[in-house]
Amino acid sequence: MGFLRKGTKCLICRAQKIDREAILFLPAYRLALCKEHFISWVKKRVYETIKQFSMFSKEDKILTAVSGGKDSLSLWFILNDLGYIADGLYIDLGIDKYSEDSKDLAKNFSERIGRKLYIIEVKNEIGRIPEVSKITNRPICSICGTVKRYLMNKYAKQLGYNIIATGHNLDDEVSFLFNNTLNWDIRYLSRQYPVLTEGKGFVKKVKPLCKITEKESAMFAFFNKIDYIKYECPFSLDSVSIKYKKFFSMLEEEFPSSKIRFYNNFLKNIFEILSKYREEEKLRNCIECGEPSLNEICSFCVLKNKFRKLENELELTKKV
Amino acid sequence: MEIKVKYRDEIKFLKFDKDRVKVIDILKALKLSPDYAFIVKGDEILREEEIVDEMDDIEVISAISGG
Repeated sequence: MGFLRKGTKCLICRAQKIDREAILFLPAYRLALCKEHFISWVKKRVYETIKQFSMFSKEDKILTAVSGGKDSLSLWFILNDLGYIADGLYIDLGIDKYSEDSKDLAKNFSERIGRKLYIIEVKNEIGRIPEVSKITNRPICSICGTVKRYLMNKYAKQLGYNIIATGHNLDDEVSFLFNNTLNWDIRYLSRQYPVLTEGKGFVKKVKPLCKITEKESAMFAFFNKIDYIKYECPFSLDSVSIKYKKFFSMLEEEFPSSKIRFYNNFLKNIFEILSKYREEEKLRNCIECGEPSLNEICSFCVLKNKFRKLENELELTKKV
Repeated sequence: MEIKVKYRDEIKFLKFDKDRVKVIDILKALKLSPDYAFIVKGDEILREEEIVDEMDDIEVISAISGG
């Protein structure tokens, strides 16, 4: 992997005949940049991604899913900086200190950029994630994903937003893509795209950071003094996605640009080929909540019912 | 040589058997890759080959997350 040598000049400054030292090097693009040009490079890349995939326009009302992490806060910052109308939605998962700390950071950031932040408490919707996860054998991250996706969609509609923007970055996308490829999961592969279109009760979902790496996102947050949660969710420390990301980092160190090539070339060469496998999902409305669902009762309500039943049983045991 | 670092909101002390410790040595000691981690001092990101002093107030940032 290449590194920045002392005295290397910023490539963009050099082209503009300005003599300024680079402060970082992006091996995937062989780019040495100064702070100002790195910041503008990230913003331009996000803007071009928004345009390339026709994600949204300045007339759209965007709800940014904010977790208090570097990606979602950087995304929120960039969207507003680029002139889009973007408010925030924070879902309090009830994961003790982690949720409290990340909520405070999201609130502080909302005040800093002067945009509205909606806070949804999971405990009022279903129950705290660590407790809800005990009623099933599914991994806690999978339960958390189901709950977050459901609440994001439901509240975006209720609050009048037509776009949900999430902070998924290139490393996230590469990790999903690798997992889906490893399993040759045609159904998931045929749907892996930075835009999920609206319709049938679903709000359009977009991933404007899909071409920004985690490190680029963290450096962007650092230079813009974005205060984000630095420690990991206690339940994702040993997650498969982190292991895949570390595996890809080893590859990237040896062969810079592996990640962006893997992702870009999938979108360019494979995604369309898989379109014939993209089945129209037979959606209906959940008979309990009315939200879109593949089954009579949606997965959120199934979880909620199981959890309520367990709560009632525990309550009865206490009384006896 | 002992270097004090802030990492994930905690203070850690790292011992090295040499007098000239580089940024990349600290990342390696923490089993982090320069592909997703970096070290900052004040408002600056330090180069991987930069020498770190015992008195430096530095923070290690690992960008990797569960996603």
